[in-house]
Amino acid sequence: MMDWWLDSLLVLGLLWLAWQAVSAPRVFRSVVMFIVFGLFMSLCWARLAAPDLALAEAAIGAGLTGALLLSAYRALLARHEQRLPEPRVSRPLAGLIAVLCALAFGVLAWVLLTVPGVETPAGREALARMDDLAVDNPVTGVLLVFRAYDTLMELGVLLLALLGARVVAEPLRASGPGPWQRPGLREPVLVAPLLALLVPLIVLMAGYLLWAGTSAPGGAFQAGAVLAALGVLLRLTGRVRPTMNSSFHERALLVLGLAVFTVAGALGFGFEGYMLSYPAGWSYPIILVVESALMLSIALTLALLFSGSGGLRGGE
Amino acid sequence: MDQVLLYVLTAAALFGIGVYGLLVQTHLLRRILAVNVIGNAVFLLLIAWAVRDGQPPDPVPHAMVLTGIVIAVSATAFALALLRRYHRDTGCVSLEGREDEGG
Repeated sequence: MMDWWLDSLLVLGLLWLAWQAVSAPRVFRSVVMFIVFGLFMSLCWARLAAPDLALAEAAIGAGLTGALLLSAYRALLARHEQRLPEPRVSRPLAGLIAVLCALAFGVLAWVLLTVPGVETPAGREALARMDDLAVDNPVTGVLLVFRAYDTLMELGVLLLALLGARVVAEPLRASGPGPWQRPGLREPVLVAPLLALLVPLIVLMAGYLLWAGTSAPGGAFQAGAVLAALGVLLRLTGRVRPTMNSSFHERALLVLGLAVFTVAGALGFGFEGYMLSYPAGWSYPIILVVESALMLSIALTLALLFSGSGGLRGGE
Repeated sequence: MDQVLLYVLTAAALFGIGVYGLLVQTHLLRRILAVNVIGNAVFLLLIAWAVRDGQPPDPVPHAMVLTGIVIAVSATAFALALLRRYHRDTGCVSLEGREDEGG
């Protein structure tokens, strides 16, 4: 009974926040509501027995997306109150279309839930074969062993998004979060102690998530997102400054995940006869190396997407 | 099953809200939010589906959605970069206003 109330409240909150995100009178309110919406999604994942997703959503969906949205909001600030043109679709018609879409979605979902033949999906097969793997977390197993192609391609997409964002990017001073403090004002006294406290904690947290990912919720994506948050923090407080061009090291780090994963996959081609199968007995160290490389690449890619720059340099 | 049904219905409603927002909002930042709401509706359906039979959750949809969350944030970042460039070049934050200029 208690669970039922919890789920109902969560769902109602989710719907209200989504509604606010698309229709609040002010854009700033929409953005904030969307960030809270991400946190509620994270709670939903926890309720639906998906702790890996809850961690990823809290770090990426709510955290990084929120930082990106707020930074973009600030860049567009001057124009927000201008009169916006009316939509081409009238509101009642749009409402009707939306209801029909939701109904179609519901029908498709009903088909998905009741269609015969889903009693033995790939996931059951994966769970049944977890004993053969070197990792205990089924989600990590699926990501890096059973469906490693997906993860490999995802790295490609991530890199492509960064390249795309760089191609359309504005000059440096107009991209990213902008100057972090007004000229002439001193840095608030609490910034330095806060950084001294948070930076080691974030690094520790990312390392733990990476290490735990093989047997418990966590993994390269969550750890990468937490490390990216470190990049966001340092960029926002002016500890690193953006640069137009990326250094050789940064470029190497950006493609490291893709490169290491590809090499590990090619190893399987040599030893086992097909791509992305790991040589027998070596799968645990290989998975660990691949995950570490993925974490570093994901972290740098996300941090650069936020920073809106080609690279980052330390110091003032 | 009740819990699954509740979340599936929520996913359908979220999808409708997202579509409505996409249609009636002309501010591009809000359209990006609406697309993200739609994406989250699909994720919610997949994850509710993963626990449909009360057994240990199916890890394949979990892995797909985890991939999806990362793809969604990178696509959002790219969309925001496009929006900022568009705003810088034209001074607009919506596409509709530029019809008369042939854009």
